[in-house]
Amino acid sequence: MTAYQLSLVMLACISVITVSGVFTMTSLAGMFSLGQAAYMSICAYLTFVLARYLDWPIWFTAILGLLASGLVAFIISLPALKLRRDYFALLSVGFGEMVGAIVILLGKWTNAAVGFSKIPKVNGLVWIVLGITVLIVFMVRNLKYSRFGRMAIALKTDEIAARSFGINVYRLKVKIYVIASIIAGVGGICFGLRNRVIAPDSFDWSLSAEMQILLFFGGTNSLSGSAVSAASLKVLPELLKGVKLFGMELQDFKTIIYCVLIILIINFRTKGLMGEQEFSLAPIKKLAKKLNRQHKKEIAK
Amino acid sequence: MKPVILKTTNLHKNFGGVKAVSDFSFEVREGEILAIIGPNGAGKTTIFNLLSKIYEPDSGTIEFDGRDITKTSQIDVARLGISRTFQNARLFTGLNVLDNVKVALDYNARYSLIEAMLMLPRRWKYEKETSRAAKECLELLNLYEYADKRPDNLPYGLQRRVEIARALVVNPKVLMLDEPAAGLNPEEVFQLMDFLREIREKYPETAILIIEHRMDLVMNICEYIYVQDFGVTIAKGEPAEIQCNPHVLKAYLGEED
Repeated sequence: MTAYQLSLVMLACISVITVSGVFTMTSLAGMFSLGQAAYMSICAYLTFVLARYLDWPIWFTAILGLLASGLVAFIISLPALKLRRDYFALLSVGFGEMVGAIVILLGKWTNAAVGFSKIPKVNGLVWIVLGITVLIVFMVRNLKYSRFGRMAIALKTDEIAARSFGINVYRLKVKIYVIASIIAGVGGICFGLRNRVIAPDSFDWSLSAEMQILLFFGGTNSLSGSAVSAASLKVLPELLKGVKLFGMELQDFKTIIYCVLIILIINFRTKGLMGEQEFSLAPIKKLAKKLNRQHKKEIAK
Repeated sequence: MKPVILKTTNLHKNFGGVKAVSDFSFEVREGEILAIIGPNGAGKTTIFNLLSKIYEPDSGTIEFDGRDITKTSQIDVARLGISRTFQNARLFTGLNVLDNVKVALDYNARYSLIEAMLMLPRRWKYEKETSRAAKECLELLNLYEYADKRPDNLPYGLQRRVEIARALVVNPKVLMLDEPAAGLNPEEVFQLMDFLREIREKYPETAILIIEHRMDLVMNICEYIYVQDFGVTIAKGEPAEIQCNPHVLKAYLGEED
């Protein structure tokens, strides 16, 4: 594969990682946030700036970065998750802007708006990113089918009823918010390693909004659906590069096409393309069994 | 006589100037079925909300199994073994019937978030246990055939039964049913009565509190009745006594001229 194709694969993977992070909080626990890109920013900057100035190995600073974004999420969530959902969403926008401003204030180390580009090159990055993506999706899937997933879906539907079954709503929300933010941090590190440059602009609120859009497009409660939509919708505009329609670059219409898609989805499939359905292997298994049976019959004849 | 499991003394709750519940004292014994009846606005649901700690009482005490739970939080009261259903079947629509029942057991399973995400052995062990308990409960109440249906696709009568199953799966000491027959047609009410009798047999230790409008259901099933009107207890006694109590007739049928 060419380097360009590899970078497209990574682009898709990073999108899948960040969207599965958003999935844990929005689809499972019903917390709508427009600030998850801020955690990508926190984690990426910490990882690469520490690696650069303290000469620590990148895997070590990455762990520090992840811990830091988890810690920040924990501190933010203590007051924020006591708010009603809509106020929580508002607060998350403010938080995202604040992180961007802090990055610019610390320009001495982060190189402010110009962007921080002293990011080490990692060999075989695409395999690492692919591995991480598979791991993250696997973990989020397990979370969905565990007691935490069930309790989160319960509290999303009805908090009072959830409490009356002994579910500690607030603590569960904090836990899930922290996990979602750490996953966003993983996405941030991968983003930095792929692009080799990070700037405050790369993590502004429009990226957070994009994650939500990709999630809702794929299916509000479907992990596999939103992962597929995250990968394909992110890569699609790149593939359309150079395609011309009526003498105009199709890529220039990216935003318009996105918006039309979203309007169609919201009108005709309010829960996203897949809704609550997951892609599963069950139909394939059924087909295989059927074929097997036919095969045996033929042999019997 | 069996021991008293839940007891309140002089419970008060005001909303602004409205006395929703005043001076409510009652007790229920292990395995007893007790009904609280009364016209609309008599404060019946408020009593349930006070007992399950959704509301804080203004004064008075609640005692459960010999300990004072007046100050205990809603979550802890649920964990102690007071389960309830709601007036409008608040099932969790994002989960299927089996998961709805499992979720009631979930606070109790002992595996952490990390163990859940990495599928470590403890997750398998406790998940198995939860599934077994939930399936057993559904089978006991003849609801197992609906296990993988979504609750919003079920008829209302079944939804109510699933909701009762969800409350029962934790083997509660007290089960509170808030208008279980509301919105059911007469046939479904009969099914519900049979269902409650079944519960009676299969969970003999559980005390059941019912709020209800339907006299046929209350008179047939309950052993003891409290009648509320405008927040005040106007009568209490066995069904036969209540049926001919002049205060009750007045509250329900209006005054004779």
